[in-house]
Amino acid sequence: MKLQRSREWWLARARREGDAAIGAGMSALDPLPEAKPTGATGMNVEEARIAFGKFVNLMRRRKGLTIEELAKEADLDVSDLLVIEDHIEYTPDPRTIYKLAQTFDVSQQRLMQLAGLVVANDVGFRLEAVRFAARSEAVEKLNVEEASALEAFIGVLSEREPQRSK
Amino acid sequence: MAAKRTMTLNLTDAEMQALDELSVRKDITKTAVLRQALRLYQTIDARVERGEKLLFENEETKEKAELMLL
Amino acid sequence: MTVEVSRIYLLDVATGASIDAELRDGIEQEQLDDWRTKWQPALAVVLQELAGRGVPISQWPQSWHWNWDQKSARVQGLLSYRGLCVVAQGETQGLAQIDLTKSCQESRQAGRPLVYLDYLEVAPWNRREIQRPTRFRGVGTALLSAAVQLSLDEGFKGRLGLHSLPQADDFYRGMGMTDLGPDSNYQGLRYFEMTADHARAFLDEED
Repeated sequence: MKLQRSREWWLARARREGDAAIGAGMSALDPLPEAKPTGATGMNVEEARIAFGKFVNLMRRRKGLTIEELAKEADLDVSDLLVIEDHIEYTPDPRTIYKLAQTFDVSQQRLMQLAGLVVANDVGFRLEAVRFAARSEAVEKLNVEEASALEAFIGVLSEREPQRSK
Repeated sequence: MAAKRTMTLNLTDAEMQALDELSVRKDITKTAVLRQALRLYQTIDARVERGEKLLFENEETKEKAELMLL
Repeated sequence: MTVEVSRIYLLDVATGASIDAELRDGIEQEQLDDWRTKWQPALAVVLQELAGRGVPISQWPQSWHWNWDQKSARVQGLLSYRGLCVVAQGETQGLAQIDLTKSCQESRQAGRPLVYLDYLEVAPWNRREIQRPTRFRGVGTALLSAAVQLSLDEGFKGRLGLHSLPQADDFYRGMGMTDLGPDSNYQGLRYFEMTADHARAFLDEED
Protein backbone atom coordinates (compact mmCIF):
# COMPACT_ATOMS: atom_id res chain seq x y z
CA MET A 1 0.00 0.00 0.00
CA LYS A 2 1.45 3.32 -1.09
CA LEU A 3 -0.25 6.65 -0.52
CA GLN A 4 1.37 9.65 -2.13
CA ARG A 5 0.04 13.12 -1.47
CA SER A 6 1.63 16.52 -1.13
CA ARG A 7 2.81 18.03 2.12
CA GLU A 8 -0.07 20.52 1.88
CA TRP A 9 -2.58 17.70 1.50
CA TRP A 10 -1.38 16.02 4.70
CA LEU A 11 -1.12 19.23 6.72
CA ALA A 12 -4.60 20.36 5.69
CA ARG A 13 -5.98 17.06 6.96
CA ALA A 14 -3.99 17.27 10.17
CA ARG A 15 -5.46 20.73 10.79
CA ARG A 16 -8.95 19.47 10.05
CA GLU A 17 -8.43 16.64 12.53
CA GLY A 18 -7.76 19.21 15.27
CA ASP A 19 -8.13 17.73 18.72
CA ALA A 20 -10.43 14.91 17.63
CA ALA A 21 -9.72 11.64 19.41
CA ILE A 22 -9.63 9.02 16.68
CA GLY A 23 -9.87 5.38 17.55
CA ALA A 24 -11.73 2.25 16.49
CA GLY A 25 -12.32 -1.37 17.39
CA MET A 26 -13.39 -3.37 20.40
CA SER A 27 -11.06 -4.58 23.09
CA ALA A 28 -11.10 -8.00 21.46
CA LEU A 29 -7.86 -9.89 21.89
CA ASP A 30 -8.75 -11.97 18.86
CA PRO A 31 -9.41 -10.32 15.52
CA LEU A 32 -12.47 -12.52 15.09
CA PRO A 33 -14.58 -11.80 18.16
CA GLU A 34 -15.03 -14.84 20.33
CA ALA A 35 -17.79 -15.49 22.81
CA LYS A 36 -17.27 -13.32 25.87
CA PRO A 37 -18.23 -14.60 29.30
CA THR A 38 -21.64 -13.22 30.10
CA GLY A 39 -22.48 -11.63 33.39
CA ALA A 40 -23.72 -13.82 36.19
CA THR A 41 -27.49 -14.20 36.31
CA GLY A 42 -28.02 -16.02 39.61
CA MET A 43 -26.33 -13.26 41.57
CA ASN A 44 -26.78 -9.59 40.91
CA VAL A 45 -23.55 -8.65 39.15
CA GLU A 46 -23.46 -5.23 40.70
CA GLU A 47 -23.77 -6.54 44.24
CA ALA A 48 -21.11 -9.12 43.58
CA ARG A 49 -18.74 -6.62 42.02
CA ILE A 50 -19.02 -4.26 44.98
CA ALA A 51 -18.05 -7.16 47.22
CA PHE A 52 -15.29 -8.15 44.82
CA GLY A 53 -13.79 -4.65 44.71
CA LYS A 54 -13.93 -4.33 48.48
CA PHE A 55 -12.47 -7.74 48.99
CA VAL A 56 -9.45 -6.95 46.82
CA ASN A 57 -9.05 -3.58 48.52
CA LEU A 58 -9.17 -5.01 52.05
CA MET A 59 -6.97 -7.98 51.28
CA ARG A 60 -4.38 -5.68 49.77
CA ARG A 61 -4.45 -3.40 52.81
CA ARG A 62 -4.32 -6.33 55.19
CA LYS A 63 -1.10 -7.31 53.47
CA GLY A 64 0.06 -3.73 53.83
CA LEU A 65 0.59 -3.35 50.10
CA THR A 66 0.12 -0.42 47.75
CA ILE A 67 -1.64 -1.10 44.47
CA GLU A 68 1.70 -1.06 42.73
CA GLU A 69 3.18 -3.58 45.15
CA LEU A 70 0.22 -5.90 44.79
CA ALA A 71 0.43 -5.61 41.01
CA LYS A 72 4.03 -6.71 41.24
CA GLU A 73 3.35 -9.57 43.61
CA ALA A 74 0.40 -10.91 41.63
CA ASP A 75 2.01 -10.17 38.25
CA LEU A 76 -0.89 -7.98 37.19
CA ASP A 77 -1.27 -4.55 35.61
CA VAL A 78 -1.62 -1.60 37.94
CA SER A 79 -4.45 -0.36 35.73
CA ASP A 80 -6.38 -3.61 36.23
CA LEU A 81 -6.19 -3.39 40.01
CA LEU A 82 -7.18 0.25 40.01
CA VAL A 83 -10.43 -0.44 38.20
CA ILE A 84 -11.19 -3.60 40.11
CA GLU A 85 -11.13 -1.77 43.42
CA ASP A 86 -13.14 1.23 42.34
CA HIS A 87 -15.34 0.45 39.36
CA ILE A 88 -18.10 -2.10 39.58
CA GLU A 89 -18.83 -1.88 35.86
CA TYR A 90 -15.46 -3.36 34.98
CA THR A 91 -15.29 -7.07 34.13
CA PRO A 92 -11.86 -8.47 34.98
CA ASP A 93 -10.49 -11.23 32.80
CA PRO A 94 -10.08 -14.81 34.05
CA ARG A 95 -6.29 -14.58 34.25
CA THR A 96 -6.57 -11.66 36.67
CA ILE A 97 -8.92 -13.66 38.87
CA TYR A 98 -6.61 -16.63 38.75
CA LYS A 99 -3.66 -14.51 39.86
CA LEU A 100 -5.63 -12.83 42.64
CA ALA A 101 -6.97 -16.15 43.93
CA GLN A 102 -3.40 -17.44 44.06
CA THR A 103 -2.08 -14.34 45.80
CA PHE A 104 -4.87 -14.21 48.37
CA ASP A 105 -5.05 -17.99 48.68
CA VAL A 106 -8.80 -18.29 48.16
CA SER A 107 -10.94 -20.37 45.82
CA GLN A 108 -10.59 -19.30 42.21
CA GLN A 109 -14.12 -20.51 41.45
CA ARG A 110 -15.56 -18.38 44.24
CA LEU A 111 -13.61 -15.34 43.14
CA MET A 112 -14.88 -15.85 39.57
CA GLN A 113 -18.43 -15.80 40.91
CA LEU A 114 -17.73 -12.70 42.90
CA ALA A 115 -16.32 -10.97 39.83
CA GLY A 116 -19.47 -11.89 37.91
CA LEU A 117 -17.67 -14.12 35.44
CA VAL A 118 -19.56 -17.27 36.35
CA VAL A 119 -22.84 -17.96 38.06
CA ALA A 120 -22.99 -18.95 41.71
CA ASN A 121 -25.52 -21.68 42.35
CA ASP A 122 -26.07 -21.19 46.04
CA VAL A 123 -28.06 -18.40 47.60
CA GLY A 124 -25.99 -18.53 50.77
CA PHE A 125 -22.91 -17.31 48.99
CA ARG A 126 -24.76 -14.42 47.45
CA LEU A 127 -26.03 -13.33 50.85
CA GLU A 128 -22.56 -13.57 52.34
CA ALA A 129 -21.18 -11.42 49.55
CA VAL A 130 -23.82 -8.74 50.00
CA ARG A 131 -23.39 -8.75 53.76
CA PHE A 132 -19.65 -8.40 53.36
CA ALA A 133 -20.01 -5.52 50.92
CA ALA A 134 -22.38 -3.71 53.23
CA ARG A 135 -20.17 -4.07 56.27
CA SER A 136 -16.80 -3.04 54.94
CA GLU A 137 -16.02 0.61 54.60
CA ALA A 138 -13.08 1.83 52.59
CA VAL A 139 -10.99 3.60 55.23
CA GLU A 140 -7.28 4.06 55.55
CA LYS A 141 -6.56 1.34 58.09
CA LEU A 142 -8.41 -1.86 58.65
CA ASN A 143 -10.39 -1.48 61.84
CA VAL A 144 -11.28 -4.42 64.03
CA GLU A 145 -14.73 -4.82 62.53
CA GLU A 146 -13.42 -4.75 59.00
CA ALA A 147 -10.74 -7.22 59.89
CA SER A 148 -13.24 -9.68 61.35
CA ALA A 149 -15.67 -9.19 58.46
CA LEU A 150 -12.80 -9.93 56.13
CA GLU A 151 -11.70 -13.00 58.06
CA ALA A 152 -15.21 -14.41 57.98
CA PHE A 153 -15.53 -13.75 54.27
CA ILE A 154 -12.19 -15.39 53.50
CA GLY A 155 -13.65 -18.45 55.14
CA VAL A 156 -16.64 -18.32 52.81
CA LEU A 157 -14.44 -17.77 49.78
CA SER A 158 -12.28 -20.73 50.62
CA GLU A 159 -15.21 -23.11 50.76
CA ARG A 160 -16.24 -25.07 47.75
CA GLU A 161 -19.57 -24.60 46.09
CA PRO A 162 -22.16 -27.25 47.04
CA GLN A 163 -22.65 -29.87 44.35
CA ARG A 164 -25.35 -28.98 41.84
CA SER A 165 -28.35 -31.25 42.50
CA LYS A 166 -29.30 -33.27 39.47
CA MET B 1 1.20 -2.21 -4.04
CA ALA B 2 3.28 -5.32 -3.41
CA ALA B 3 4.81 -6.97 -6.47
CA LYS B 4 2.48 -9.51 -8.07
CA ARG B 5 2.94 -12.52 -10.30
CA THR B 6 0.55 -13.69 -12.97
CA MET B 7 -0.71 -17.25 -13.32
CA THR B 8 -3.04 -18.87 -15.78
CA LEU B 9 -6.15 -20.46 -14.36
CA ASN B 10 -8.06 -23.24 -16.07
CA LEU B 11 -11.74 -23.08 -15.19
CA THR B 12 -14.76 -24.96 -16.49
CA ASP B 13 -17.71 -23.02 -17.89
CA ALA B 14 -19.64 -23.56 -14.67
CA GLU B 15 -16.74 -22.29 -12.57
CA MET B 16 -16.29 -19.34 -14.88
CA GLN B 17 -19.98 -18.54 -14.55
CA ALA B 18 -19.84 -18.73 -10.77
CA LEU B 19 -16.84 -16.41 -10.80
CA ASP B 20 -18.65 -13.94 -13.07
CA GLU B 21 -21.73 -13.96 -10.86
CA LEU B 22 -19.77 -13.42 -7.66
CA SER B 23 -17.80 -10.64 -9.29
CA VAL B 24 -21.03 -8.80 -10.21
CA ARG B 25 -22.84 -9.48 -6.96
CA LYS B 26 -19.90 -8.52 -4.72
CA ASP B 27 -18.89 -5.57 -6.89
CA ILE B 28 -15.26 -6.67 -7.13
CA THR B 29 -13.08 -7.85 -10.03
CA LYS B 30 -12.66 -11.54 -10.79
CA THR B 31 -9.11 -11.36 -9.49
CA ALA B 32 -10.42 -9.81 -6.25
CA VAL B 33 -12.96 -12.66 -5.91
CA LEU B 34 -10.21 -15.25 -6.14
CA ARG B 35 -7.92 -13.40 -3.75
CA GLN B 36 -10.81 -13.05 -1.28
CA ALA B 37 -11.58 -16.76 -1.62
CA LEU B 38 -7.95 -17.60 -0.81
CA ARG B 39 -7.93 -15.29 2.22
CA LEU B 40 -11.13 -16.76 3.63
CA TYR B 41 -10.02 -20.34 3.00
CA GLN B 42 -6.69 -19.71 4.73
CA THR B 43 -8.35 -17.99 7.70
CA ILE B 44 -10.86 -20.79 8.20
CA ASP B 45 -8.21 -23.45 7.78
CA ALA B 46 -5.98 -21.79 10.39
CA ARG B 47 -8.83 -21.75 12.89
CA VAL B 48 -9.83 -25.35 12.20
CA GLU B 49 -6.17 -26.31 12.68
CA ARG B 50 -6.33 -24.64 16.10
CA GLY B 51 -9.14 -27.01 16.99
CA GLU B 52 -12.11 -24.74 16.27
CA LYS B 53 -15.23 -25.71 14.36
CA LEU B 54 -16.97 -23.82 11.61
CA LEU B 55 -20.69 -23.65 12.23
CA PHE B 56 -23.59 -22.16 10.35
CA GLU B 57 -26.57 -21.11 12.36
CA ASN B 58 -30.05 -20.47 11.04
CA GLU B 59 -30.99 -17.12 12.46
CA GLU B 60 -34.65 -18.04 12.90
CA THR B 61 -34.57 -21.65 14.02
CA LYS B 62 -31.17 -21.35 15.80
CA GLU B 63 -30.41 -24.68 14.16
CA LYS B 64 -26.69 -25.28 13.78
CA ALA B 65 -25.04 -27.20 11.00
CA GLU B 66 -21.35 -28.01 10.94
CA LEU B 67 -19.46 -27.43 7.75
CA MET B 68 -16.87 -30.11 7.20
CA LEU B 69 -13.48 -28.89 6.15
CA LEU B 70 -10.37 -30.88 5.43
CA MET C 1 6.79 -9.65 3.71
CA THR C 2 8.36 -6.34 2.91
CA VAL C 3 6.79 -3.23 4.33
CA GLU C 4 6.03 -0.42 1.93
CA VAL C 5 6.74 3.06 3.21
CA SER C 6 4.97 6.27 2.19
CA ARG C 7 6.26 9.72 3.13
CA ILE C 8 3.62 11.70 5.01
CA TYR C 9 3.55 14.87 7.10
CA LEU C 10 2.17 15.54 10.58
CA LEU C 11 1.56 18.81 12.34
CA ASP C 12 3.64 19.61 15.42
CA VAL C 13 1.07 21.05 17.83
CA ALA C 14 3.51 23.16 19.87
CA THR C 15 5.30 24.88 16.97
CA GLY C 16 2.82 24.49 14.12
CA ALA C 17 5.67 23.07 12.04
CA SER C 18 5.43 20.26 9.54
CA ILE C 19 7.00 16.99 10.72
CA ASP C 20 8.24 14.28 8.35
CA ALA C 21 6.69 10.92 9.09
CA GLU C 22 6.40 7.45 7.61
CA LEU C 23 3.22 5.57 6.86
CA ARG C 24 4.09 1.86 6.86
CA ASP C 25 1.85 -0.99 5.70
CA GLY C 26 2.99 -3.46 8.34
CA ILE C 27 3.52 -3.76 12.06
CA GLU C 28 6.97 -4.93 13.08
CA GLN C 29 8.86 -5.66 16.28
CA GLU C 30 9.80 -1.98 16.71
CA GLN C 31 6.10 -1.11 16.98
CA LEU C 32 5.39 -3.82 19.54
CA ASP C 33 8.40 -2.63 21.56
CA ASP C 34 7.22 0.99 21.41
CA TRP C 35 3.75 -0.07 22.45
CA ARG C 36 5.07 -1.91 25.45
CA THR C 37 7.87 0.40 26.58
CA LYS C 38 6.44 3.82 25.64
CA TRP C 39 2.66 3.67 25.19
CA GLN C 40 1.84 1.50 28.17
CA PRO C 41 3.81 3.48 30.79
CA ALA C 42 2.33 6.74 29.49
CA LEU C 43 -1.16 5.26 29.87
CA ALA C 44 -0.51 3.84 33.34
CA VAL C 45 0.39 7.28 34.70
CA VAL C 46 -2.85 8.74 33.41
CA LEU C 47 -4.96 5.86 34.71
CA GLN C 48 -3.58 6.27 38.20
CA GLU C 49 -4.39 9.94 38.09
CA LEU C 50 -7.91 9.34 36.78
CA ALA C 51 -8.58 6.75 39.43
CA GLY C 52 -7.24 9.10 42.10
CA ARG C 53 -9.58 11.83 40.94
CA GLY C 54 -12.50 9.43 40.99
CA VAL C 55 -13.25 9.86 37.28
CA PRO C 56 -15.89 7.30 36.25
CA ILE C 57 -14.65 4.55 33.98
CA SER C 58 -17.00 5.67 31.19
CA GLN C 59 -14.84 8.76 30.78
CA TRP C 60 -11.57 6.90 30.61
CA PRO C 61 -9.54 6.64 27.43
CA GLN C 62 -10.99 3.77 25.53
CA SER C 63 -8.09 1.68 24.40
CA TRP C 64 -6.03 1.19 27.53
CA HIS C 65 -6.75 -2.48 27.96
CA TRP C 66 -5.89 -3.70 24.49
CA ASN C 67 -3.17 -6.24 24.32
CA TRP C 68 -1.35 -5.61 21.09
CA ASP C 69 1.21 -8.41 21.56
CA GLN C 70 -1.44 -11.12 21.75
CA LYS C 71 -3.41 -9.55 18.96
CA SER C 72 -0.58 -9.57 16.47
CA ALA C 73 0.54 -13.08 17.39
CA ARG C 74 -2.88 -14.49 16.50
CA VAL C 75 -2.87 -13.09 12.96
CA GLN C 76 0.74 -13.78 11.99
CA GLY C 77 0.99 -15.07 8.43
CA LEU C 78 -2.70 -14.75 7.65
CA LEU C 79 -3.63 -12.93 4.43
CA SER C 80 -6.86 -11.63 5.95
CA TYR C 81 -5.18 -9.31 8.41
CA ARG C 82 -2.95 -6.33 7.71
CA GLY C 83 -1.15 -3.93 9.97
CA LEU C 84 -0.54 -0.23 9.48
CA CYS C 85 1.49 2.25 11.46
CA VAL C 86 2.75 5.82 11.50
CA VAL C 87 6.32 6.47 12.64
CA ALA C 88 7.82 9.89 13.35
CA GLN C 89 11.00 10.94 15.16
CA GLY C 90 11.87 7.29 15.69
CA GLU C 91 8.68 6.49 17.57
CA THR C 92 5.44 4.73 16.73
CA GLN C 93 2.73 7.40 16.63
CA GLY C 94 -0.25 5.26 15.74
CA LEU C 95 -1.25 1.65 15.03
CA ALA C 96 -4.06 0.02 13.08
CA GLN C 97 -5.11 -3.46 12.14
CA ILE C 98 -7.34 -4.41 9.25
CA ASP C 99 -9.57 -7.42 8.72
CA LEU C 100 -10.40 -8.30 5.11
CA THR C 101 -12.97 -11.03 5.78
CA LYS C 102 -15.98 -8.81 6.51
CA SER C 103 -18.85 -7.48 4.41
CA CYS C 104 -20.78 -4.22 4.19
CA GLN C 105 -24.01 -3.59 6.11
CA GLU C 106 -25.06 -0.26 4.65
CA SER C 107 -28.10 -0.88 2.42
CA ARG C 108 -26.56 0.47 -0.78
CA GLN C 109 -23.56 -1.83 -0.55
CA ALA C 110 -24.73 -4.63 1.76
CA GLY C 111 -22.90 -7.94 1.36
CA ARG C 112 -19.98 -6.52 -0.59
CA PRO C 113 -16.50 -7.02 0.83
CA LEU C 114 -14.92 -4.12 2.68
CA VAL C 115 -11.88 -3.19 4.69
CA TYR C 116 -12.88 -3.53 8.33
CA LEU C 117 -10.78 -1.43 10.67
CA ASP C 118 -10.50 -3.86 13.53
CA TYR C 119 -8.30 -1.61 15.61
CA LEU C 120 -7.02 1.95 15.44
CA GLU C 121 -5.10 3.60 18.23
CA VAL C 122 -3.03 6.76 18.39
CA ALA C 123 -0.05 7.05 20.76
CA PRO C 124 -1.01 8.41 24.20
CA TRP C 125 1.01 11.61 23.74
CA ASN C 126 -1.05 12.47 20.65
CA ARG C 127 -4.37 12.15 22.44
CA ARG C 128 -5.95 15.18 24.01
CA GLU C 129 -7.77 13.26 26.74
CA ILE C 130 -4.38 12.04 27.93
CA GLN C 131 -1.86 14.75 27.23
CA ARG C 132 -2.30 18.50 26.74
CA PRO C 133 -0.97 19.89 24.60
CA THR C 134 -0.63 16.88 22.35
CA ARG C 135 2.50 16.35 20.26
CA PHE C 136 1.33 15.59 16.72
CA ARG C 137 -1.84 16.03 14.76
CA GLY C 138 -2.88 13.97 11.75
CA VAL C 139 -1.91 10.47 12.92
CA GLY C 140 -5.47 9.13 13.11
CA THR C 141 -6.43 10.66 9.78
CA ALA C 142 -3.31 9.17 8.18
CA LEU C 143 -4.16 5.66 9.39
CA LEU C 144 -7.72 6.06 8.18
CA SER C 145 -6.54 7.34 4.79
CA ALA C 146 -4.21 4.36 4.50
CA ALA C 147 -7.08 1.97 5.24
CA VAL C 148 -9.18 3.57 2.49
CA GLN C 149 -6.26 3.34 0.04
CA LEU C 150 -5.85 -0.31 0.97
CA SER C 151 -9.52 -0.86 0.20
CA LEU C 152 -8.97 0.67 -3.25
CA ASP C 153 -5.86 -1.47 -3.81
CA GLU C 154 -7.79 -4.63 -2.90
CA GLY C 155 -10.50 -3.79 -5.41
CA PHE C 156 -13.02 -2.96 -2.63
CA LYS C 157 -13.51 0.54 -4.05
CA GLY C 158 -12.69 2.29 -0.79
CA ARG C 159 -15.50 0.64 1.18
CA LEU C 160 -14.57 0.69 4.86
CA GLY C 161 -16.25 -0.19 8.14
CA LEU C 162 -15.35 0.35 11.78
CA HIS C 163 -16.73 0.37 15.29
CA SER C 164 -16.04 3.85 16.60
CA LEU C 165 -14.87 4.66 20.08
CA PRO C 166 -17.38 7.06 21.66
CA GLN C 167 -14.98 10.04 21.58
CA ALA C 168 -14.46 9.53 17.86
CA ASP C 169 -18.14 9.36 16.78
CA ASP C 170 -18.30 13.01 15.77
CA PHE C 171 -15.11 12.78 13.77
CA TYR C 172 -16.41 9.88 11.64
CA ARG C 173 -19.74 11.60 11.18
CA GLY C 174 -17.96 14.79 10.20
CA MET C 175 -16.04 13.07 7.46
CA GLY C 176 -19.23 11.75 5.94
CA MET C 177 -19.30 8.13 7.06
CA THR C 178 -22.71 6.55 7.49
CA ASP C 179 -23.68 6.00 11.13
CA LEU C 180 -25.47 2.66 11.43
CA GLY C 181 -26.02 3.04 15.16
CA PRO C 182 -24.86 1.19 18.27
CA ASP C 183 -23.96 -2.46 17.83
CA SER C 184 -24.97 -4.66 20.74
CA ASN C 185 -22.41 -7.27 19.69
CA TYR C 186 -19.64 -4.74 20.16
CA GLN C 187 -20.35 -3.37 23.62
CA GLY C 188 -22.67 -0.81 22.11
CA LEU C 189 -19.99 0.86 19.98
CA ARG C 190 -21.47 2.63 16.96
CA TYR C 191 -20.81 1.06 13.59
CA PHE C 192 -19.78 3.42 10.79
CA GLU C 193 -19.36 2.65 7.14
CA MET C 194 -17.77 4.48 4.25
CA THR C 195 -19.30 4.05 0.81
CA ALA C 196 -17.32 4.00 -2.43
CA ASP C 197 -18.44 7.61 -3.08
CA HIS C 198 -17.36 8.80 0.37
CA ALA C 199 -14.02 7.11 -0.16
CA ARG C 200 -13.40 8.87 -3.45
CA ALA C 201 -14.12 12.24 -1.90
CA PHE C 202 -12.05 11.44 1.16
CA LEU C 203 -8.92 10.56 -0.78
CA ASP C 204 -9.39 13.27 -3.39
CA GLU C 205 -6.09 14.80 -4.50
CA GLU C 206 -7.60 18.28 -4.50
CA ASP C 207 -8.07 20.12 -1.30
